[in-house]
Amino acid sequence: MKTAVFWGCRILTSQYAYEMSVREVMPRLGVELVDLPEALCCGDPVKSVNDFAATYLSSRVLALAHASGAEHLLVPCNRCHFTISEAKRSIDGDRKVSEKILGMLREEKLEYDPNMRLWHVIDFLHGAVGLKRVKDAVAKPLKGLRLASHVGCQIIRYSDLGRVDDAENPRKLDELIGAVGAETVDYAEKLDCCGAHLMLSHLDTAFSLAGAKLRALQELGVDGLVVSCPDCGLMYDFKQKDAAATVGVKLDVPVVYYTQLLGLALSIKQEKLGLHLNQSSVDKLLMKVPV
Amino acid sequence: MSLVDLMSMAKPNLESRAKIFSKLKGRDLVNCFQCIKCTSGCTALKLLELKPHEIEKLANLGFVDELVVSDVLWTCVTCLKCVQRCPQKASPYHVIMALRNLAVEKEAKIPEAFMKAVSQILETGMAEAYQKISKGTETFDRESLKLPKICSPGEVFQTLFLKALEEK
Repeated sequence: MKTAVFWGCRILTSQYAYEMSVREVMPRLGVELVDLPEALCCGDPVKSVNDFAATYLSSRVLALAHASGAEHLLVPCNRCHFTISEAKRSIDGDRKVSEKILGMLREEKLEYDPNMRLWHVIDFLHGAVGLKRVKDAVAKPLKGLRLASHVGCQIIRYSDLGRVDDAENPRKLDELIGAVGAETVDYAEKLDCCGAHLMLSHLDTAFSLAGAKLRALQELGVDGLVVSCPDCGLMYDFKQKDAAATVGVKLDVPVVYYTQLLGLALSIKQEKLGLHLNQSSVDKLLMKVPV
Repeated sequence: MSLVDLMSMAKPNLESRAKIFSKLKGRDLVNCFQCIKCTSGCTALKLLELKPHEIEKLANLGFVDELVVSDVLWTCVTCLKCVQRCPQKASPYHVIMALRNLAVEKEAKIPEAFMKAVSQILETGMAEAYQKISKGTETFDRESLKLPKICSPGEVFQTLFLKALEEK
């Protein structure tokens, strides 16, 4: 299946582990990824400044995906996925917007395709690749691991837009974790936000939000937290120390991307999955992975 | 300063209110019946005292000019729970984003990071700055990790993006 992939800024500029693990696992599941080198920002931070300009940035990503010859577009970032989804709705449903946008795209000889199918890693693996295929590909089941899932906000809300999973009871990520042989726990803070957007305006609050969730998970004694969004990865993994300092507790929760976990179950080398880049104590989790 | 303090001397401005309604593109702000579901589930309520139902009410009443200069607009985490749970499809998140857009149009004071992101996109194509990752004594970047190079934006794109930013 030929699938265009749009990484977005956060993955390309710091969350390399997510990028590396997606690049490693997808081909092993029969997915041919096509990069869109000319794609730039999706428009997310611009939504607060000028909605039309954000729509334009998203439309450009969709048009570049179309130009690559792919019919599917994989967007591993939650915020990019939401921004592009809203832009798509705006272009498809508002003639005035679409006329302007299509005209602007033409200046770069780009064309908008309303039939481009948008995916996130979670629904792509769960639906397009299929849970069964993921399960069948597992070479090394991660038995004995007790993990918590964090799907993030913008791929599950708001349902009217057509999202990746149920807004109040998302299960797909848990099922995918189950498919690699690990166990997941349900916890009260599951739907709590990581706070990444507030990094733009209220740093302390952003860290408080991330820290509160990590503290709850630490008390639950899980072996790790599984994320699937580069913003959540940034907050829980890269900024765990800042979060700990803000909430005033020592935090030591291993945080991994789902595709890193899947890669381990597919017997891919740890370095290829970027596991040496995680800033949280992933060694603690890796020690429990069956050899 | 709380929003209520801001209102004590305020008068509704129906022209600004109309601007917000046009930005909402048919989302039913006017149907908000103050059930407070948005505020009761708001991620930013506990820490930053964001009360989306107040914003809905004030926007409905036309106190838009006061909202536009208020810091409270920038406390939203964009978790979208309010949009999901609103029984009236009055979309507090979208009202907040429309107000943010109007704040920029009216050149109100907004958190620096947003305009910085815009200029960075113009310059590098990315809203985030490129980072090297350190772990222990080692440092990694795209090159050492053998990841493909990132492209820079072309002039045509820059012109188009600037044009898009002028749209109201």
